[in-house]
Amino acid sequence: MGLKLRNVSKTFAGKKAVDNISLEINTPGVYGLLGSNGAGKSTTIRMILGILKKDEGEISWNGKQVNRKSVNFGYLPEERGIYPKTKVFDQLMYFAELKGMNKNDAKESIEKWAKKLKVEEYLNMTAEKLSKGNQQKIQFMTAIIHNPELIILDEPFSGLDPVNSEILKNIIIELVESGKYVIMSSHQMVTIEEFCSNILILKEGKTILQGNLKEIKDSYPANRVEIHVNQNIDNYIKEYGLENINEKNNEYIIKITEEGTAHKLLNKLILDGVKVSKFEIMKPTLNDIFIEKVGE
Amino acid sequence: MKETITVMKFTISEMIKRKSFVISTLIILVLIVLGFNVPNMVKNIKGEDSGDKILIVDNQNIFEGKLENLKDMGFEYDIEIGQENYEQIKQKIEENQIDSAIIIESNNNNYKIRYIVESKTMMDGVPEDIVNSINTLYSNIQIGKLGLTEAELQSITPNFEFSLEQTDEEEVKGNVLVMMIMSIVFFYAIYFCAYQVSSSITTEKTSRIMETLVTSTSPKTIIWGKTLGIGLVGLVQMILIIGTALFSAKMFLDEQLINSVLDMSNITISLGIITIIYFVLGYLAYSLLYALTGSTVSKPEDINSANAPIAILSVVGFYLSYFTMINPTSQLNVYASLLPISSPFCMPFRVMMGLASTKDIIMSILILIITILIIAKIAIKIYSSAILNYGTKLSFKNLFGIFKDKKN
Repeated sequence: MGLKLRNVSKTFAGKKAVDNISLEINTPGVYGLLGSNGAGKSTTIRMILGILKKDEGEISWNGKQVNRKSVNFGYLPEERGIYPKTKVFDQLMYFAELKGMNKNDAKESIEKWAKKLKVEEYLNMTAEKLSKGNQQKIQFMTAIIHNPELIILDEPFSGLDPVNSEILKNIIIELVESGKYVIMSSHQMVTIEEFCSNILILKEGKTILQGNLKEIKDSYPANRVEIHVNQNIDNYIKEYGLENINEKNNEYIIKITEEGTAHKLLNKLILDGVKVSKFEIMKPTLNDIFIEKVGE
Repeated sequence: MKETITVMKFTISEMIKRKSFVISTLIILVLIVLGFNVPNMVKNIKGEDSGDKILIVDNQNIFEGKLENLKDMGFEYDIEIGQENYEQIKQKIEENQIDSAIIIESNNNNYKIRYIVESKTMMDGVPEDIVNSINTLYSNIQIGKLGLTEAELQSITPNFEFSLEQTDEEEVKGNVLVMMIMSIVFFYAIYFCAYQVSSSITTEKTSRIMETLVTSTSPKTIIWGKTLGIGLVGLVQMILIIGTALFSAKMFLDEQLINSVLDMSNITISLGIITIIYFVLGYLAYSLLYALTGSTVSKPEDINSANAPIAILSVVGFYLSYFTMINPTSQLNVYASLLPISSPFCMPFRVMMGLASTKDIIMSILILIITILIIAKIAIKIYSSAILNYGTKLSFKNLFGIFKDKKN
């Protein structure tokens, strides 16, 4: 069950945009599709949606080959698009009808999601009169209005203020809880870490890292230590051959290569009577892993 | 099919809600009504039945007072016979008492007719019929002095009856001038409707709505829905324009004038149906081509250069049919009515002229339908790939590559 990509490739003008990608999403949840610009994320998404034909490999949903007609997917593209001169309600109704909904169901669904996304008051306005954030919420509605089984969200939070981000986050959580499969592509690693249990990182069309996010992170050794003290400890850092990444008001983030050095530094500070209010050895963030892998 | 109708309905609703569309249609209709009222307005300004006032002066009495006979010859001019000199004539023209004058003079048996107008640039033609009648009147005066019998007089002044006949067995009906005007209206209706398809696709690409749209339905549905929607609006607009023109002609124009330029007996229901069929087919052919070019650009400023080859093709098609109307029975006109780029502009008028046989019409329609199907196949294939292409305009080489690629 779920989505399965097996050895999928796509070539444009002799250049492999996607090279032998495989992935499986067997349970509802959010799957992170990462990569720098031009890594092949959009091509992969378009092939999953059936709007671009693959050159090789297989893409199936619930065991059936994916094609444009058979799938009931929802898609929020990275490039935001909306009919500027058309009333919000009319364009939502248009997309709902195109996705096979009848007028009554579509109207009900529009009203339900408009209420949840707090855009009810804009339904009778032309889209060009809405703020960028509200336009984005309307486009998000077009992706979910027909109750799709799989939802692909490309940079869903870009351009949203913290309040609207929170609304959207809650809706994504709600969708997952109701059994939806979500593929999220984003350059905001914090967001990916917050939502995704599994990830795939692409570089030049190839998979360079794939798997459970926690397991991936656990496989990396600790690389930083955060220490909050009551005085300047630059001399100690130098003494142990460490690198100060960031310091503000005697709150340090120090790069380490092994945990033992960090413990030695802590002992030394305590013995010398430096008051330590926080000491935390940290695993690399997804951002660190991404930069390391993609920047290689 | 349901999705095609949904796209079509949305396209129609988008078009008719556009203020620019409503206003431009209303302006065209008002201009048509006004245009057909021009003869009435001119009449009202000048006064009923008052033609141009023309003064004829024969101060040397060459016509022995018989110039008065010209008044009874039924000219459209208001003729006045007088004795004024040049200065007085000039003053009368300047004071708008008369529009022009004819001075007849003789110098050593050399007769001269001087036609006096306020400005040569304002002169709308020498009244040749009056000049000819003056010549005839003079001859008759001189012949009358010879004392000839009635029979002798008739034998030297025969009244030749003129008739125009053609060697070609095909008889041309209707009026070429009206057909030419109609062909221009027809061309612009097809051209602008088809252009709308291209512009609509580019707008969807530039507004980035295309990616959402193409995941909601197939490119084939979008292309057909959009093309049919815009076509229906165009067809209704054209019917409105032609209907308003026919209604205005009937309401505001003199029946004699209408009959002199248009043989109404040729405007039949079957001609109306054939005209609509050619409008629809011609529009489909060109709009599918424009859909193809519209999908290749992602910036509005590139749309004209992308559409240029199709625009040239349509103009060639139009002129091919337009110029062959001057010689409607020529072989080139037959080819123009079969060639798919020109047949939509040419065939309805061949039918109106009574020059096209049923076989010709069926063959022309078949060629056009086959061409449309081929264009549709190419357009939909290229459109499906090109709509997701953002960046520089696709070249012919790229388009050919997309078409050849079996995976697309």
